[in-house]
Amino acid sequence: MKTVALEITGTGWITTFQDLGRRDTERRGVPTGGAADQHSATVANLLVGNARSATLIENLGGELALVPDEDVLVAVTGAPARVTVAGGPVEGWSPLVVPAGHEVRVRGDMNRGARVYLAVNGRMTSRTLLGSAAPDARMGFGQNLAPGSRVLLETGFGGFGRSLFEPPLFRLPVPVPRFDDGPWVIDVVASHGIHAVPGIREMVEESAYVVTPRSNHVGLRLDGPVLHPDTDAEIVSHGVPIGALQIPHADELIVLGRYRSLTAGYPIVGVAARASLPMLGQAGPGRELRFRWIDRESSLRRFARRAAEVRALGHAAAEAFGALGFKEPLSHTK
Amino acid sequence: MTTAQYGAITVEPFGDSAVMVTIPHADQAIRRAATVAFRDRFLAHRPHGVLDVVSGLESLLIEFDPLRTALQHVEYAARLVARWAPSPSSTTDGGRAVRTFAIPVVFDHDSGPDLASVAGELGLAPAEVVEAIAESTFTVALLGAAMAPMMDGLKVPGPVRRRAEPRTDVAPGAVMIAGTNAIIQPFPGPTGWRVVGRTPHTIVDISRPDPAAFGTGDIVRFVPVTRDEAEALKAGFPLPTGEGA
Repeated sequence: MKTVALEITGTGWITTFQDLGRRDTERRGVPTGGAADQHSATVANLLVGNARSATLIENLGGELALVPDEDVLVAVTGAPARVTVAGGPVEGWSPLVVPAGHEVRVRGDMNRGARVYLAVNGRMTSRTLLGSAAPDARMGFGQNLAPGSRVLLETGFGGFGRSLFEPPLFRLPVPVPRFDDGPWVIDVVASHGIHAVPGIREMVEESAYVVTPRSNHVGLRLDGPVLHPDTDAEIVSHGVPIGALQIPHADELIVLGRYRSLTAGYPIVGVAARASLPMLGQAGPGRELRFRWIDRESSLRRFARRAAEVRALGHAAAEAFGALGFKEPLSHTK
Repeated sequence: MTTAQYGAITVEPFGDSAVMVTIPHADQAIRRAATVAFRDRFLAHRPHGVLDVVSGLESLLIEFDPLRTALQHVEYAARLVARWAPSPSSTTDGGRAVRTFAIPVVFDHDSGPDLASVAGELGLAPAEVVEAIAESTFTVALLGAAMAPMMDGLKVPGPVRRRAEPRTDVAPGAVMIAGTNAIIQPFPGPTGWRVVGRTPHTIVDISRPDPAAFGTGDIVRFVPVTRDEAEALKAGFPLPTGEGA
């Protein structure tokens, strides 16, 4: 093991430490939080031989850049992005070596997706709150990275003895999501609130919704037609799953994100399918969304398929790294 | 700890990997107490695959990993727990003993800008509202957003209404009431609760391994102090005055 410094030379609009979020803290009022696109964050870590929940960097907008002071193994996932090492283009969604003193730059295409993830083999040193490096703005835990920050990394990576310009390191079965130019289709499982708003099922299915700039980590606020419940019956505040579709008093639709708190008592007409949550985490302002109702069993089948793809990648990466003489897992994260 | 009597629970699917548990009963106080008791029992007998729970005032959201368990198993476990599990009396959800806190609070116009209007609604003088708060014994029912302790037990002549227009920036330490509940603001932010006082303590400190001063089941009393007394306390993270209810 050795300690490597990653000098942050450029950051986007929001650049933070990130991971998959807190475990078992929602019962104590702290949302799980974590990477908005859990799929991309998980895959980035697996591609560099880390545990899924290892700390990595999440970048929204602009350009992320860093320079390591030793060779490091890096993977960039998330929205389609232009990735360069020492000015030369390299592939995303693949392990790549960034040589000591060379800069890796990542510029996500905001028209195709909001967030990119950069994982580095090893253990990034970061503060934690309740066992996680994920930010929690409400609790004053920003975890922001700024140009000039130095991130220390404990890593066992010693290089492959390869030049940068050789073909990709491995052929791994990487489940890369589609980031279509057109509208994204989000599957939704109806919930009991749908009965409180007659006609909402058809309206949500037939209409187009556009993500507004008022969206944030708490929820996406969507422009598009909605209906309101007939009655003014007060709903007592209650917990809601991530991905809940909520209709507030205003004429907008809210899709709650990983930093939601209790609802203020608005009707919840459905909850986005687990397999659709990573795309919601990538939906930036201007993105058009369409919703498709799906039954619970179909939703879980889709999720199980995606989970199996990620597991297969984990196994293949472990084998490939094992064949190269890496210890597995490479890093010692929780 | 309340040992509420209740019969059946209602378990509703909520999305593809959560259920919402509610306890139907005509009496709101019983619904709420039974929800707390059910949550404590369920966490003490947590089934495989259950990731977390989110407490509402009258509901419990149970989140599970659908690859490790199934909705039917979670529902079955919830019904079993509701029916058979003994109440984890005098311990909290973590299994630790209930603790008792005496929290100093400044109740003046600057610290409690809603004190006068609350008093007006209840037909009391502001000093009488302060007295009622000081004589109430609160139990932490749940930790709300950002670990804010939400407490039952406010003894006033009637329920206190929320603000029609929420305040946008309430300081940490603000002691607030609504209904028959009290809550302490842990971080600056908005709230619809009525702000009646302020404690000099830091009730959530993120530099600590366990940031929250209070846990569910803990007993809290508010002790009126003057502004000078509060400053002289140099109050940091509050420590309990004792263990055992």
